[in-house]
Amino acid sequence: MIAKEAIRVLAAHRGDAIAVCALGVAANEWWDATKAEDCFQMHGAMGFAASFALGLALSLPNVNIWIINSDGSLCMNPGCLLTEAAQAPRNLKHFVIDNQVYQTVGAVPMVNAGRTDYAGLARAAGIASTHTIDNVPEMEKQLPRLIAGPGPTFVVLRVEPDPSHINTPPVTYEGPEMKYRFGRALEKRFGISVFNSSGY
Amino acid sequence: MDVSEQIHAELKKCGVRLAASLPDDWVAPLIRRLDADNDIRHVPVGRESEAVMVASGAFFGGVRSVAVIGNTGLLTCTGELATLNLRHQIPVFCIVSMRGSIDDHQIYQEVQGRRTIPVLQAYDFPYRVIDRPEEIGCIPDAYQWCRLQKRPFILFLTRALLKGRRWS
Repeated sequence: MIAKEAIRVLAAHRGDAIAVCALGVAANEWWDATKAEDCFQMHGAMGFAASFALGLALSLPNVNIWIINSDGSLCMNPGCLLTEAAQAPRNLKHFVIDNQVYQTVGAVPMVNAGRTDYAGLARAAGIASTHTIDNVPEMEKQLPRLIAGPGPTFVVLRVEPDPSHINTPPVTYEGPEMKYRFGRALEKRFGISVFNSSGY
Repeated sequence: MDVSEQIHAELKKCGVRLAASLPDDWVAPLIRRLDADNDIRHVPVGRESEAVMVASGAFFGGVRSVAVIGNTGLLTCTGELATLNLRHQIPVFCIVSMRGSIDDHQIYQEVQGRRTIPVLQAYDFPYRVIDRPEEIGCIPDAYQWCRLQKRPFILFLTRALLKGRRWS
């Protein structure tokens, strides 16, 4: 399967989950598939969307939080798996789009491409529920159970490199606009206060 | 009340309910206090950038947070603070041991002492240095300033504050 297919299937199963997307093609595909206001797309801090999602999950323990990560971002901060395992948030699902390349810079091969077992890394870090899926029928079959079960759950979606990804445009919101749209969406859905009465 | 107790009490006044940390020996007593507080979710991390990003995620959950780290760690995460927190205007309140001061005689802290403030000024990150116990009461104002500035705020704690003065 290619990333676009994997993301489409994932998006169809998201239900009420709030998503945090690492920057890159997976984020662009998620935006293309969902146009969701209640999704935070990182414009920077490559590698740390998972840490951001963990902070969100710990702060909203009754809300399903998904991190849509990428292999490049995971390679930049594999330590996030240890922190995730230690905190063990039941409401967190961690998906990694693994295309074995840095797609946005011209499909340059990932470090140790094709030989690293990311699910194995997560398992060794202490996350008990780890999975690798490489085709759409298997995603359709396994996702309902994985999503319904308690987290933390770590799922590698292994896809083929696909040059057409660069034709999927990124989210159209600027950095601060992303912050306010996301924050306001969470305030509206969950009755929380992200911003004060003066708007900051 | 010792210094760590005072800082802890001021953070409670700010409504802090999540603390992410990676220890430097000067702030380790504060981290232990925060860890023992059942009303504060403590998130020990393996790299300082994780701490500031966990705290940034908590902001959107409506939870007030703090990252407690050392000066060396602060330097390691300036890229993330710039490309996430400056980029999206997300406040994150950082308590940082001010290593490399003239009373810190560790050679491996020397560069941090000379270059951290110029780095923060280059990024336009607001900061304040607390050197005396009577200044700890500024923490609620500093926290509010961080929110208002919508960017990383660094609250430095000096050796004199945390470990005692070498001179009078």
